[in-house]
Amino acid sequence: MLLALTGLLFLLINGALIALAMRFRARRGTDPRRIHTRPRATFLLGGMLATLAVIIFIAGVVVTENASDVEASGSEGLQAASSRTAQRDIALPSGDVEPLQIQATGQQWLWRYEYPDGTFSYYELVVPVDTAIVVNLGSTDVVHRWWVPGLGGKFDAVPDQSNGTWFKADETGEFDGATYQFAGASGAAMRTKVVALSVEDYEAWLEQQATDIQEAQEFVQAEVEADAANATPEGSNEESP
Amino acid sequence: MSTNGISTSQRPELVSDSLPQERPGWIEMATSSDHKDVGRLYVGAALSFLALGLLQFLLIRLQLAVPENTMIEPVTFNRLLSVMSASLVVLFAVPLAIGLFTYIVPLQIGARSLAFPKLAQLSAWLYILGGATLYVSFVYTPPEAGFNALPPLSDTAFLDNNGVDVWITAVGLSALAFTLQAVNLIVTISKMRAPGLAWRRLPMFSFSASVSSWVMVVAGPAMLAALTMLFIDRHFNGVFFDPQESGAPTYYQHLSWLFFTGCYLLFIIPAAGAISEILPTFSRKPLPSRGAVAASLVAIAALGMLAWMQNMFTASIPVGFLYMAMAAALLLIVPLGILFANWLGTLAFGSIEMRAPMLFALGAISTLSVGLLAELLHAVVPVNWLLADTTDATAASGYVFVGGAVLGGFAALYHWFPKITGRTMGESLGRASFALILLGAHVTFLPMFLAGLEGQPVDVYKYFDTGNLGVLNLISSLGSLVLAAGIILTLVNLYASTTSGARAGHDPWRGESLEWLALSPPPPHNFDVVPDVRSAEPMRDIRDAIRDRRASPRAAETPDRAVRRSSAEADTVDEPESGEPVA
Repeated sequence: MLLALTGLLFLLINGALIALAMRFRARRGTDPRRIHTRPRATFLLGGMLATLAVIIFIAGVVVTENASDVEASGSEGLQAASSRTAQRDIALPSGDVEPLQIQATGQQWLWRYEYPDGTFSYYELVVPVDTAIVVNLGSTDVVHRWWVPGLGGKFDAVPDQSNGTWFKADETGEFDGATYQFAGASGAAMRTKVVALSVEDYEAWLEQQATDIQEAQEFVQAEVEADAANATPEGSNEESP
Repeated sequence: MSTNGISTSQRPELVSDSLPQERPGWIEMATSSDHKDVGRLYVGAALSFLALGLLQFLLIRLQLAVPENTMIEPVTFNRLLSVMSASLVVLFAVPLAIGLFTYIVPLQIGARSLAFPKLAQLSAWLYILGGATLYVSFVYTPPEAGFNALPPLSDTAFLDNNGVDVWITAVGLSALAFTLQAVNLIVTISKMRAPGLAWRRLPMFSFSASVSSWVMVVAGPAMLAALTMLFIDRHFNGVFFDPQESGAPTYYQHLSWLFFTGCYLLFIIPAAGAISEILPTFSRKPLPSRGAVAASLVAIAALGMLAWMQNMFTASIPVGFLYMAMAAALLLIVPLGILFANWLGTLAFGSIEMRAPMLFALGAISTLSVGLLAELLHAVVPVNWLLADTTDATAASGYVFVGGAVLGGFAALYHWFPKITGRTMGESLGRASFALILLGAHVTFLPMFLAGLEGQPVDVYKYFDTGNLGVLNLISSLGSLVLAAGIILTLVNLYASTTSGARAGHDPWRGESLEWLALSPPPPHNFDVVPDVRSAEPMRDIRDAIRDRRASPRAAETPDRAVRRSSAEADTVDEPESGEPVA
C-alpha cells in the first residue's frame, strides 16, 4: 500500500512536471502570469501532507509493535521449552509454549549457531517448521548484520551487546541469507542459510549433529595427543594445535 | 587591471620603481583570498574529485557486472569502495555546493567580499589537502574500512595499517574546512547584505546557503569528535568505542551518521536553492510563495538532521528512538511536498525557455522525486528492516545523489558559468549530457531497486547468481557507463567553454538577483555601486527603470549610468507590468 502511495506521488509529480513544461513554453508566445499563493493554500497543502505523514507513522508503529511480539508456535511446530530471557524489545508470548532460542554469533566471516542443547553449527541454521525461533545476535569481532530474506527483518550483531529478532518458517525449505554490514575483506562470502525441517527431521538432525561434533572432537583430541607424544622433550615444537 | 570599458587616457600616469611583479595566473589564484578565486578553487577541486570518484565507480560496476567476478581482489575492491564514497560525498557533493555558495552568495547579496576572506582561503586549502591525502594514499595504503569506517572494524585490532588513518585525516580536514566556511557564509549572509536586502528579499540560493551552512555547523564538529575518538582508540589505547570497556560502536554510529546525514542534506538543500532560482528565471515568473519555499528549506534541514537515526534502525537501540527518527523522516513529506508544489506552481502559466540550466533543473526535480519517495519507504521502521543495506538503499541514495548533487549541481554550474567566466556553456553538448545522465541514472539505479528486493547486500565485492541478480547487475553496469558518459560530457563542456564559449555579457538569462548586475567575470570588488534593493527582484526593478528612462525624453543618459541611478528611482516604479519586453 505504501508502495502504491509512493508510486502515485511519483506519477503525480512527474506527470505534472512534464505536462507543465510542455504546455507553458515561451515559443507559444504567452506572457507569463505572475501568481502569488496565499499562505492559506500552503497551510492547506501542508496540513494534508502532515495528515498523510501521521497516518503512515501510526501504521508504522503498529506494524513495528506487532513485529516485536513473538508469535506462538503452531501445532506442527516443536513444543519444547527453553529458558532464556527475552532480548531488548522482544516480547515473548505468554503461555506454556516457549519459542526455540538460538544464539547466532557473527565472526569474520562466518555465522555460528548454538542450539539450546549446546549443539552448534556453522553457516547453516536448522530449525523446526512452524515454530517461533528467537535469534539472539552477538559478535566476537566487528559489527555484523543478520538477515535472511523472507524470514523477518535485519538486525545488528554487535560485540558485547544484546540484540535479537525472531522468525517462523511456515513451510519446510531452504532460505538464503547473508551479512548486510560491511565487515572487511571477505564480507561478501559471509553468507548463511536457514533450513526448515519437520520436527522429526529436526530432532534427528540435532542428534546426528551432536554425534558428529562428538566424533570430530574425539578425533582432534586423539591427533593432539599423538602430536604431544611425538614432540621432542626439549619443547622446540611449541606451537599448540 | 581591467578598465571596465572606461578610457584611461585622461588619468594621471602612475610611475613606480617597483611595480608588483606580474605573476602567473595559477599563483594569483592559489594565493588569493578573493571569494571568487576561493570559490573557483573549491568548484575545480570538487569536479576533479567527481572525475576520480566516477572512475572508481565504473571499476566497481565492472566488477559487479557478472556474478562471482574475480577481476578485482576483495581488498582492492574495499579500497576502491572506501575511496569512492569519500570522493563522491565528502570531496565532491559538499564542496561543490560550498564552492558555488562561496562564489555566488556575496554577488547575490551585493557584498564586496566574504566576512572572513582569509578563513575562506584556509578552508579551501584544508579541503584540498584532505582530498590530496586520500589520493596520495594510493601509493602506499588506501583506506579499506567502508563508507563510514565503523569500529571495531576500523580499529587497529582488525585493520592495522595506515588506511584508516588516511581516511580519518582526509575526512577530518574536509569536515573542518566545511565547518569553517559554513561559519563564514553564515556571518556573510547575516551581516553583509546590500541596503534594503531584507531576509524576505534574499535570493533563494543565498538562503539555501545559510541553511546548508547551519547544517554543516552541526554536522561537521560531530564528525571531528568521532574521528578524534577513533584516532585515540587506534593509537593511544582509547576505549571510546570498545564494547569490552563499556564503550560502544553505537556511539560512533550516532556521530558519523549525524555528519553523513548532514552531507546528504547538502545534496538536497543547495540543489533546491539553485532550482528555486533557475525555475523563476527561465519561466519569467517568481515562485508562488517565497516564504513557503524558505520555510520548507529550514524544515528540511531541521527534520532531516533529527532523522539521523534512520540509518540505525537495525542497531540495538530502544524502540522509542526509532519512532522519533521515523516521525522526523516522515514529517519531511510536508516541506518536501510544499517545495515540489511551489516548483510546479512556478512552471504553471509561465513562459518557459528550455535552456540548459532549466533542463538540468527539471531533471533534478524529477530524479530527486524518485530518490526522496524511495527514502520515504525507508523511513518506515519495518520496511527499513527489510530494505536497509540492500542495493535498494544504494539506489535510493543514488537517485538523490544524481538528482541533487549531479543534476542540481550541474544546473547551478550551467546557470552561473556565464557569471564566473563571461562565457556560456555549450548548449547542444549540455543537452546531450543531460539526456545521458537522466537515462544513465534510471538504467543504473532501477535494476538496483529490484536487486535489493531480492536481497543483494550493499558494499560487497561479489554476489552470487541467485534469482535475477546476474541480469539486473549487468543492466546496472551498462547504465553506469551511460551515466558516466553524461557526466564527462558536462566536464568536457565546462573545460572547453572557459576559452571557446559564446560571450555571455553580464546578464545572459535576464536573472532577477543582484549577481547579474556585476560584470562577467566580476571585478575584484564585485560592484562599482551597490544599489538599494527595493524588492525580491532588484534586477527587474533596474530593467524597468532603464526602460522607463529610454521611453522618457530624458533618454540622453547612457544605460550604464541609468543602472547606477535606477536604484534610487526603483521605488518610483509603481506596479511593474506583468510582461517583460522581448529582447
